[in-house]
Amino acid sequence: MEKLIEILKELQPEVDYETCENLVDGRYLDSLTILSLISEIEDEFDVVIPTVEIIPANFNSAKKIWELIQRLEEE
Amino acid sequence: MIKNIGKSILFMFILFLLIAGISCLLLPWRAVKKYGILYTANYPILSEEENTIDAVVVGDSLVYSGINPMVVWDKYGYTMYDCALAGQIPIISYETIQESINSQHPKVIFLESDVLFRNPKNIPIDTIKLWLTNRYIPIINYHDNWKKYLFNFLNNDKKFTKFDFYKGYHLIKKIKPAPKSRYNYMEYSKEYLPIVDENIEYFNKIVKLCEKNEVKLVLISIPNLKLWNYKKHNSISDLANKYNLEFIDFNLDNLLKINWQIDVKDGGGHLNFRGAYKVSDYLGNYLKDSGLVKDHRKDKKYQSWNESYKIYTS
Amino acid sequence: MTYFGIKYIFIFLPIVIILYSLMSKKLKPIILLCASLGLIFYISKWLIIYVLLSFLSIYLAGLLLQKIDSKRDLICEGKEREERKKIKGKYKRYKKIILIITIIFNVSFLFYFKYLGFFAKIANRLFVIFKINLSFEIVKFIAPIGISYYTLKAISYIVDVYNEKISAEKNILKVCLYLTFFPSIMEGPIARYTDVKDRIYAGNKVTYNNLCFGYQRILFGMFKKYVIADRLNIFVKLAFQNYMLYSGVTSLVGAIFYTIMLYMEFSGTMDVVIGSAEIFDIILPENFRQPFFSKNISEFWSRWHITLGTWLKDYIFYPVSLSKPVKMLTNFNKKVFGHRFASIIMGGIALFFVWSLNGLWHGAGLTFLFFGYYHFALIFLGNIFEPIIAKICEILNINRQNKIYVFFRIIKTTILVFIGELFFRAPRLLYGFGMIKKIVTDFNVAAFKNEVFALGMDIKDFAIVALALIFILVISILKEKGKNIREDISKKPIYVRWTLYYALILAIIVFGAYGAGYLPVDPIYVDF
Repeated sequence: MEKLIEILKELQPEVDYETCENLVDGRYLDSLTILSLISEIEDEFDVVIPTVEIIPANFNSAKKIWELIQRLEEE
Repeated sequence: MIKNIGKSILFMFILFLLIAGISCLLLPWRAVKKYGILYTANYPILSEEENTIDAVVVGDSLVYSGINPMVVWDKYGYTMYDCALAGQIPIISYETIQESINSQHPKVIFLESDVLFRNPKNIPIDTIKLWLTNRYIPIINYHDNWKKYLFNFLNNDKKFTKFDFYKGYHLIKKIKPAPKSRYNYMEYSKEYLPIVDENIEYFNKIVKLCEKNEVKLVLISIPNLKLWNYKKHNSISDLANKYNLEFIDFNLDNLLKINWQIDVKDGGGHLNFRGAYKVSDYLGNYLKDSGLVKDHRKDKKYQSWNESYKIYTS
Repeated sequence: MTYFGIKYIFIFLPIVIILYSLMSKKLKPIILLCASLGLIFYISKWLIIYVLLSFLSIYLAGLLLQKIDSKRDLICEGKEREERKKIKGKYKRYKKIILIITIIFNVSFLFYFKYLGFFAKIANRLFVIFKINLSFEIVKFIAPIGISYYTLKAISYIVDVYNEKISAEKNILKVCLYLTFFPSIMEGPIARYTDVKDRIYAGNKVTYNNLCFGYQRILFGMFKKYVIADRLNIFVKLAFQNYMLYSGVTSLVGAIFYTIMLYMEFSGTMDVVIGSAEIFDIILPENFRQPFFSKNISEFWSRWHITLGTWLKDYIFYPVSLSKPVKMLTNFNKKVFGHRFASIIMGGIALFFVWSLNGLWHGAGLTFLFFGYYHFALIFLGNIFEPIIAKICEILNINRQNKIYVFFRIIKTTILVFIGELFFRAPRLLYGFGMIKKIVTDFNVAAFKNEVFALGMDIKDFAIVALALIFILVISILKEKGKNIREDISKKPIYVRWTLYYALILAIIVFGAYGAGYLPVDPIYVDF
C-alpha cells in the first residue's frame, strides 16, 4: 500500500490519497496518468491489469486500487 | 390520478388562453378587435381602414412575391393589397374576394390566373398544413411580428405599426437565375390546357360577384417560366373572351422584359424584388390609364401609407 | 421524422405513450420494441434488415461466448492454478475468434455504407497518380438510420460479454430493444448495456411525474433548437459557403455561431431523446456536461459527446495502449527515455488511433480527419507541455487554482474549440484554411455593420440569441455548481412552476425561428 501511494504521489502530487475518493470522477487522474499508473503497477507488483478492470470504480481511491492489485495477485 | 388529470386540463386551458392573448397582440390589431383572431389571420386585408384600398390582387405565392404595393404607392399613389395564399385554389380566391369587397369595396380586382389550373382534389400536404395552421393556429404564421414590438430602441428608425406595412407582399432579395434551357417556355401552341369544372364554377361565381358590386375584374399572369406555358395562355384567353374580361399575360413575348438572370428568386418560378418592381409598375400604370382610381399621396386619410412607405424603405 | 418535428413530439410519442400505458407490464416493452422497429422501418424501409442482422449477430455471439465461459469454468473446477491458466488461455483463443468475427461482421456494414465511397475516391486518385488504368465506380449508399450509433452499441455489448463484464442476455427481445430503442436510434447517446439493462425491459408505468419531467426536458431541447440553433443557420450557411466574399469578421462570427448552433442543436436533441426515454422510466446516459467550462481540450471531450468519448476510451484507447506491441515499446522506451516520456508515447499512440477513428466516425472526408488530428495534436501537445507549464507556474508563483487563471484557460479552450469546429463545418479543407487566413489577415471591424447584419439576421435576431444564450448560461453555471435545477423547480409553488413553463412554451412559439424567412437546421448528428 505504501509503495502504491508513493507511485501515485510521483504521478500526481497534488492529491491527498489517504482521503480522496473520486480520483477519476474528480478528474485528478486523467486517462494518460492512469496509463502511467497501470504500467508502474504492472512493473512493481508483477500483475497484468486487463482493460476490463479499467473502470472508475476500481481507480477512484488508493484503497480501491490496492484492492484491485490484491485481487489480481491472487488469480 | 384525478387530481393530476384536472391539473393537466387546467394547464392546457390556461395555455390556450395565453396563446390566444399573444395572438391578439401579434396579429393585426385593429382587425382582431372587430373580426376576431382566426378571421383576421385569414384575411389580413381586414386590418386596413375600411374602404381605403383601390385595388386588390388575389392569387397564390406568385402574387405575394411578384407584386409590391409599396412601389405602386410610391410612384402613383394608389392603394393596392396582395390577398395571396400559397397554393390558393379558386374557392379560396372566391372567399377572399368576397371579404375584400365587403370591407374595402375596391375599384379593381386582379386575379392571378394560374390559380385556375390548380386541382382542388390534388393539393400538396404542405399547402394543406399551411392552410390549417393559418385557419386554426394563426400565430404560427404571424409569430415573427414580435419584431414590431420588441427591442425597438436598437433600431429606432423602424416604428411599430398595427398593420402589415408590406400590404401582403413578401420582400424577397434572393437571386437565383433560371436555366437558359427554359427560356423558350412560351413556345407557340394551339392546344388548350383544360380547367376542372369545379374551378370554372367558382370562377363563374367570382365574375358574378364582381359584376354585382361593380368591381372591374382583370385576369393577369405573372411571369413564371416554371409553370406557365402557351396552353395555359390559350385557355385563359378563351375564358376571358367568353366572360368579356381583360387578360394581361406578362409571360407573352416577355412583356415586361424580365431578366431571367437577376429578376427571379428560385430559377424562374417566383420573382424577386427586382421582378416585382416591373410587374407592380406596370399595374400602377394600368390603374392610372383606367381612370378608376385617384392619387392619395397628399390625402390626410391615407397618411398611414406614407408611414408604411417610410418603414418599408428604411 | 426528426426528433424536433411535430410528427414525433405531438403524434408519434403520445401514441406510443398511450399504447404503452394500456398494456400489461409484460407487454409494455413489446410496445417500445414495435415503436422502435416501426420508426426504423418508417425512415429506412427495408434497410432495417441490416439493423436486424447486427442485432442477431451480437445476440447469438453473446450466447456462444457465454456457453464457452461456462464450459471453461466447469473444466477448471478443482484444477491447479497452473493448469487453470492453461485452459483459460486455450478458451480465450476460441472466444477471441468469435469476438473478432462478430466485430468484423458489424463493422463491415458500417464500412460498406459509410466509407466505401470515400476509399474508392482515394483509390481512384491514387490510380490516376500512378497511371494505373483502373477506377471504381463511386456509389453513394443510403445507410440504415443510426448505423454509426447502433454499431458502436453492438460492439460495446459483445466486447463486454467477451470480457465477462456482463453476462449475455438470453431474452432476444431485450437485446433488440437495447440496440434499436427509438429515442436513441438516430443520434445516440451510445448507451452501454450496463447503463440500461435494468430498466429498458422493465415495463415500468408511465407516472405523472415522469411524464411531466420528460416533456419538460423535451421543451427545453426545443427551446435550444428553435430559438437559437435555427436562427443562426442561414448566417452560418452563408458565412461558410461564401467566406471569400466577406471579411474575416464574418468568418470569425460564422465559426463562433456554428459552434453555438452545433451545441444547441445536438444538446437540444439529447434533451428530447433523454426526455422521451424518461417518460418510460428509462434513464439514458447524458451526452453533455457544460462543455464550455473546460480547462483544456481533453477535459472538453469528457464533457462533449460524452458517450462517444468514453466509448473510444474504453474500446480503443485502453485496449490499444495496453496491447502487447505497445507495451513492449513502452518497456523499451522506459529504459531509454525514462518513465514519463515512455507513458506519453504510449498514450500518444493510443490517442492517435482514437482521434483517427473519431474523425472518421463523423464522416468520410478530409475535413473530419483533419478535425480528429487537430484534437489529437492539441491533446498530445498538452500532455507534453503540461509538466513544463506546471514548472513555469511554480517559478512564477502562479496558483493554478486561481480563478483568473482558470478563466483564461477556459477562454483558451473555447477558442481552440471554435477553430476545430470551423474545420468541422467547412465544406472543404481548403475553405477552412481560407477562413483562418481571412480571420488573421483581413480582420476589418468596420465591416461588421455592413456584412454581419446583411446575412439573414437583423439586430433583433442578435438580441434574441444573446438573451437566450444568457438564459442557457445561467442554467449551465447553476448546473456546474452542482445544483439539480429540475429538482429545485419541482419544489417551488405551482404558480412559479407554471409561469416558467408557460414562458418557455410561449418563447418557443413566438421567438422560434420557424416559418417564412428561416431555414431550420437539419439534424446534424443523424448523418454521422
